[in-house]
Amino acid sequence: MATKTINETTNAFQGAEAVAPSQPAAAAQKWQPVIAAFICNWCTYAGADMAGTTRRVYPATVRPLRVPCTGRIDPLLVVKAFEQGADGVIVSGCHPGDCHYVQGNMVARRRFAALRALLEFLGLDVRRLHFAWVSASEGMKWSHLVGEVTAAVREAGPFQGWGASGEPHRVPVSLPEPPAPPRGTPRPEDQQATAEHLQRLAAKLLDEGLVTTVIGYAAGSLPPQMVPAFATCADDARTLGWNEHCVNNLAVYLPAAQRQGGKTAIVAKQCDARSVVGLLQENQVKRESVVLIGVSCPGVVVDGKLALKCYSCDGEAASVCDWTVTPEGAQPGAQNSGARRAVAADPREALIGFLEALPAADRWAYWQRQFAHCLRCYGCRAVCPLCYCSVCIAEKNRPQWIPVTIDAKGNMTWNVIRALHLAGRCGSCEECTRVCPAGVRLDLINHRLAMEIEKRFGYHSGDDPGAAPPLVTFRPDDAGEFVR
Amino acid sequence: MDSLRDPLGWRLNDEGVARWLEELLRAGKRVIAPVENDGLRLFQAVDSPAQVCLVSGKTRWSPKEFLFPRTEPLFSYAVESDTVRLDEGPAEIQEQVLFAVRPCDSAGLTRLDAVFTGGEVDPLYAARRERTTVVTLACPEAEPECFCTAVGGSPRGEEGSDLQLVAAEQGWLLRPLTVKGERLTAPLGEWAERATEEAWERAREALQRVEESIRESTVARGWAAVLEGSFGLPVWETLGRRCLGCGICTYVCPSCSCFDVNDRGDARCGERCRSWDSCTFALFTRHATGHNPRPTQASRYRQRVLHKFAYYPQLHGGEFMCVGCGRCVKLCPVGMSIQESVRTAVAAAQEVGDAQR
Amino acid sequence: MLSVDHGRTPFLPRLARVVSAHDETPDVRTLRLELLEQAAERLHWEPGQFAEYSVFGTGECVFTLANSPTRSEYVECTLRAVGKVTTGMAALVVGQVVGLRGPYGNRFPVEQWRGRDLVFVGGGIGMAALRAPLQFVLDKRADYGEIVVLNGARSVADLVYKDEMKEWQASDGVRVVRTVDPGGETAEWDGEVGLLPDVFGRLGFKPDGRVVIVCGPPIMLHYMFQALEKDGFAPDQVVTTMENKMKCGLGLCGRCNIGRFLVCRDGPVFTWAQVQTLPKDF
Repeated sequence: MATKTINETTNAFQGAEAVAPSQPAAAAQKWQPVIAAFICNWCTYAGADMAGTTRRVYPATVRPLRVPCTGRIDPLLVVKAFEQGADGVIVSGCHPGDCHYVQGNMVARRRFAALRALLEFLGLDVRRLHFAWVSASEGMKWSHLVGEVTAAVREAGPFQGWGASGEPHRVPVSLPEPPAPPRGTPRPEDQQATAEHLQRLAAKLLDEGLVTTVIGYAAGSLPPQMVPAFATCADDARTLGWNEHCVNNLAVYLPAAQRQGGKTAIVAKQCDARSVVGLLQENQVKRESVVLIGVSCPGVVVDGKLALKCYSCDGEAASVCDWTVTPEGAQPGAQNSGARRAVAADPREALIGFLEALPAADRWAYWQRQFAHCLRCYGCRAVCPLCYCSVCIAEKNRPQWIPVTIDAKGNMTWNVIRALHLAGRCGSCEECTRVCPAGVRLDLINHRLAMEIEKRFGYHSGDDPGAAPPLVTFRPDDAGEFVR
Repeated sequence: MDSLRDPLGWRLNDEGVARWLEELLRAGKRVIAPVENDGLRLFQAVDSPAQVCLVSGKTRWSPKEFLFPRTEPLFSYAVESDTVRLDEGPAEIQEQVLFAVRPCDSAGLTRLDAVFTGGEVDPLYAARRERTTVVTLACPEAEPECFCTAVGGSPRGEEGSDLQLVAAEQGWLLRPLTVKGERLTAPLGEWAERATEEAWERAREALQRVEESIRESTVARGWAAVLEGSFGLPVWETLGRRCLGCGICTYVCPSCSCFDVNDRGDARCGERCRSWDSCTFALFTRHATGHNPRPTQASRYRQRVLHKFAYYPQLHGGEFMCVGCGRCVKLCPVGMSIQESVRTAVAAAQEVGDAQR
Repeated sequence: MLSVDHGRTPFLPRLARVVSAHDETPDVRTLRLELLEQAAERLHWEPGQFAEYSVFGTGECVFTLANSPTRSEYVECTLRAVGKVTTGMAALVVGQVVGLRGPYGNRFPVEQWRGRDLVFVGGGIGMAALRAPLQFVLDKRADYGEIVVLNGARSVADLVYKDEMKEWQASDGVRVVRTVDPGGETAEWDGEVGLLPDVFGRLGFKPDGRVVIVCGPPIMLHYMFQALEKDGFAPDQVVTTMENKMKCGLGLCGRCNIGRFLVCRDGPVFTWAQVQTLPKDF
């Protein structure tokens, strides 16, 4: 049976919109969908106005929310609409090429694609979310659009709510076990050799004053744990180690190191280096302040098993690195280690495929159960190198965008927004998933978005420090097939 | 103990325990026990004994949320023309049994008792606590992160517990520790035999071995004052350096109890709720003016350690707030070890003390 | 059923109406509130205690009860709009209903001050924390010795309680000294110019039995304590209030923890001697 969520007293206190308890049946018959429509001032709002002046008849279900441009529509607005009880949402603006601000809708088009892909992956009934280009002269289109959307939302029924688990009889979904890893444990002598070369390199960088700190890994208090270690002198460098338990993404320490000044070296696996590339792209780290010590990595072990991200990785040092350390030695630049490591298909894609093959309602139930466990510890945010905002959206309180309450509703908003904030930026280091005490499959969410971005815009994050992030650029011919 | 009718308790096999739980469920009690779903073992309300998972290993986090929920509405408000209507809402507090709680987690409950009922009594917590009967499961084995013995606890500790369940040959031994616990054994029928002193003796020997398997050296009670004296030392900069400022340690901890109070709703209607919060978060002590008494992550890390090992003990006869479950050490993204930090800070403070003499 | 009285949880506020709002400075406002059930049950408090004020939908915030309990027909608070709740409070209009719960915290030990000379030193909005004990001793004037009020602010515009200061100056045996930071004076300014600790030093008070009550921003307290030490004041002759961020006010939520203290339960009034025993966590 479905596991109940921990806190169930919320509905007792819903405010003025709540149905009067004395008339439930009658209210159900008269249910009118509430559809929030985020529409741009210059085109769709004017078009909706025209629908009125030309006396077009269409359902009175829409609450228009006027914005200057679709480019201003933060996905958070759509997410909040659902959180606050909208049964459906329409997002509409000028046709591409006709934007009053020239290109706002072009950037928006990319953002909407990510938003839609994510919400669909989470199991939101796609009959509830609609995108359209409606110009100022298309009063007729507007009235038809509202009619179609209203019909679709009626079919979908009243939205149970962001964080409601839907039909309680649904059998909980369990993800299938991933396939066996493509390779066994690495040779201890190789690890030891790499560690020694690393120690010598670190000591050299520190002794020669090339860096003020080397951030690497050292033994933690619970063997075989390896934890981040900060070496500021050659003696410290001797404590640095290397093995398959070096899981942390040390790039998380770079934005603060940049602010402190001086030069910092970090040991960077290929996945970690993708985060560094992201930080470089976004000007959070200056290239000259960081020395990247790439390392030939056979894959890391999490909970006794090879991490899923490592299945498809060849373990070579990323091309952006200043040094490469392998069992053979430490060489300047990004060198190929020569080890032909067995790689396999990324198992996350199969898991994503499994979820996408499920009916949306089952998928929704799966994610609701996941988010019900979320503790809002913000471990995911804390370990992520790209969550560097000095004031996180969750910390803003005027207004309090992300509910503080640790319930399924607030958790859903938080996790959705975080995923969208990372869209096109996440390097898939999976640290968020490793640290989550509730076992939320954040890796699948982030990877699904990465897949969408790659499919639509041909962009793979973490490759090129000079590339423009995909969600702040656009191409005039970006696909917009999901927009009416 | 003298007021207990059957202090030696009973001997049960697996079916006997299951039957007892069934009786409790049938009597309308909410039974909360470790349940395993998708590799995540957590305390959850169960419908049947079959869902209970008693294999070794603690749950991912403590069962404190059944006494101190993650989020809890305090009252609702609705602004009317000339006044505001406040409503505390119905009191939905059910009788509940926390089953198979580890001794560290039940010791954590006594720390929460001190916070929530030791001074100003929190009636929400107090009502739940009164309606909760705790059945502890003595630990069949210690996990690598466990250090309860170092802070005055034990795998067979009885703090905060009403009944103790211990694995024994051919099943289980169950004995009441409080009158409340004894009441819970009322449904035990002919399938439960009286336990013998010998059976308990053998069980205790096994538990003694578990206790000895925890190799952590003791954190001395006298260290609380020395630890507070380490406050201004630079050792905290080093100790706190890799802390990332998440709240994992706080939220999985059996004894952490800090919370935030917020209004959820709008100017017209809504509710005031309290939710878990953590001193490790940057905003915890930040004033609206921007002034923050704990402006660095190192200072925030120091606060958590000192609160557990220095400040709380000063107010509670030297007892540490930390119960040694080790979850914070195991689940910390960067492997911070609280007891190691205590030892390092104490050593640094003693060194300074020695230098000054 | 429930044996624990689940009646009013301590989080449930009483209701109060805003009866007047007075702008002390462009960003500091004093609100006067009257409890809705005043006739039935007045609020009883001691000088130094604080209350939790609610703007429903926005949140709840701690302010000192800024008037003396000798004038308990109303409750006042003085606030600066810096954050979410204070901005909400500053925007309240007369007639609006807010929440009020309290009083909480400890009090100024006013009975220990009988017969002694008192110096109230308030920096900026810190003056609000001194207003209740000051009004109290003025309302029981005969019980106390000489009273000096030393109030400083960044500039003339930032001085609070401008009218009341004149009233206080006019009271028997009360001396009011106002100062603004160098550069904060206007052409018409006839008070002192200088930082509070410097002006205090200039006034040359002898410690002998005098009690000094100091409230203000942390940096001001720090320098005031230095000045007091230089003038020979003993740490238990100096009283202050701690301004830590507080949430529940009940000693439950843990936010105001400093060392072994909870400011809401063990404070907010502390002697300088007590403050010295605390970790520098404020």
